[in-house]
Amino acid sequence: MAQTMAEKLLTRHNITGKAVRAGDFLEAKIDGAMCHYHASEPMHDLAIEAGFKDGLPRVWDRDKVYVLLDHHQPTLSQKLADENALVRRVVERLGIRCFHDSEPGIAHQMMLDYGLVRPGELVVGNDSHTLGYGSVNAGATGITRADMLYVLLYGELWFQVPESVRVVLDGSQPGYPIAKDIILYLAGQHGDDFAQGMSIEYSGTLVPQLSIDSRACLSTHGVEVGAKFAMFDEDDTTRSFIKARTNLPYEPLAADAGAHYVKEIHLNVERMPFVVAKPHQFGNVVPVDEARGVRINQAQIGSCANGRYEDIEIAARMLRKHRVAKGVRFLISPASQQVYLQCLKAGLIEILIEAGAQVITPGCGICQPRVGFLSDGEVCITSTTRNFKGRKGSTNAEIYLGGPLTVTAAAVAGEIVNPREVFSGL
Amino acid sequence: MGFDLQQTIRGRVWKFGDSIETDAINPYYLYPTMAELKLHTMEIYRPEFPREVKPGDIMIAGRNFGCGSSRPGLVLREVGIAAIIAESVARLFLRNSISRAIPIFVVPGVTDLAQDGEMLEVDYPKSVIVNTATGATLPLAKYPPAIEQIFECGGLLQFAYERYIREAALVGRAGLENGRGHEKVI
Repeated sequence: MAQTMAEKLLTRHNITGKAVRAGDFLEAKIDGAMCHYHASEPMHDLAIEAGFKDGLPRVWDRDKVYVLLDHHQPTLSQKLADENALVRRVVERLGIRCFHDSEPGIAHQMMLDYGLVRPGELVVGNDSHTLGYGSVNAGATGITRADMLYVLLYGELWFQVPESVRVVLDGSQPGYPIAKDIILYLAGQHGDDFAQGMSIEYSGTLVPQLSIDSRACLSTHGVEVGAKFAMFDEDDTTRSFIKARTNLPYEPLAADAGAHYVKEIHLNVERMPFVVAKPHQFGNVVPVDEARGVRINQAQIGSCANGRYEDIEIAARMLRKHRVAKGVRFLISPASQQVYLQCLKAGLIEILIEAGAQVITPGCGICQPRVGFLSDGEVCITSTTRNFKGRKGSTNAEIYLGGPLTVTAAAVAGEIVNPREVFSGL
Repeated sequence: MGFDLQQTIRGRVWKFGDSIETDAINPYYLYPTMAELKLHTMEIYRPEFPREVKPGDIMIAGRNFGCGSSRPGLVLREVGIAAIIAESVARLFLRNSISRAIPIFVVPGVTDLAQDGEMLEVDYPKSVIVNTATGATLPLAKYPPAIEQIFECGGLLQFAYERYIREAALVGRAGLENGRGHEKVI
């Protein structure tokens, strides 16, 4: 039977060894568990609630659990400092070997930076944006905190094999990143749940031209269109990225010819306009020209979707000859320390600061009401993941989503504008 | 507490739209404690909801219910919601609800079956939901046995604990209450 990537992934990981197809339920073996220890309800408390009166008694494999204190580093309150201290004690007691503690950054980017996820693996994380590792051909998905407790104990978890949707991207990559525009455009055209519960397989002539950064944006945002997995094939780009980070062996995934897809969506990116999502939903997408002239108070580049090198590089490249508009707060948060360092060595940070941007600590704060709150009536355009009401503080503020180029253009103009009107040579 | 799938649920309907997101269900960024959450859940969509919701009420919604971050809908159970029925449910919210044994059902067509304030009856054993005023019905799909078992245990936490006890008994280990030889934390 010809299999999709998801069917092959879950067949390989099925504890009974039997081949599975879309719709089947199974118990799957887990290759890696990304655990960022949720501050409001740590795994420790859940273990106690389950019945383990002293907390989690063990983890199934000390080398396959990755704990990263990303959302709360450096801590912004006493409560979080105390919770992090508890996490440290739990990690030590359980003997978990991979613990990124005293390093700010987004767990998902650090998983990629440090080669903790490899092609063909089934990796879970207690965060909805875990799908991002599909950029390097991993089957990765977010699970719930209770699911994570089960995984930590047994290294197994129940899954339903998803149906699959092929997203075929054709055309040439322009000289700037367009991944955010692609996923927003797809959500606008096909709905913010066009892949509900499904596995997305990206293919087409654009894909070999896409960087890992762009692929990570497209995979991460799989969850914004409802997906369980969002995967790319392994190719030369993947191999050189992985080779630079780990020499552990792996077995990549590829769909069989003749595999069944419930739908196939085509997009030629050369015919796609720059787009933004208007408040307050990801799928509320219009061409940027239809939001032209909306005055902004804050612009942001960051998050697990668009806080990577190429997202910051395009901002710096555009700001060489421009300044941030008076009164606009332009916040840039590299996704990790490694990304920050790369930007620093390339001279980007200096350009950004000279142009009037604020560079803030790597982490998840920029995508939440934790860093850079909005006040009543304020407007923000951001390349982060979500524009829900209240996502940046006030429920009377408005949040637009756009790609890093569109965000930078707005930061320079002081209002939402087509980047072509602000920057020449695009 | 768990939920008994075999019991019939009858309650007054609160109706919501499409893509109801978890920041609105569980706005913990703004209201970190359960006591506060109960006063603010869903207020972005319907400001009267936290004030007027009554124990036993049923929530129905359009497609993509619970999209966004992974957050369990515990606050909805706390304010008394007896069941959630939606045209479709975002996968993490569905997993969260199963994990915490919160009754949730995907029923295409449900938003046409009942209007706000009407009474609905959810009969899982008979696989049907009924608008008790109009008599209109829709079929209710059964969960596979493995998921029913999680509900029966009271959720995945309890399911995980029961497996641990069972396996420990099999290997003849006693006193497994917690990582023997390890120091206690807090």
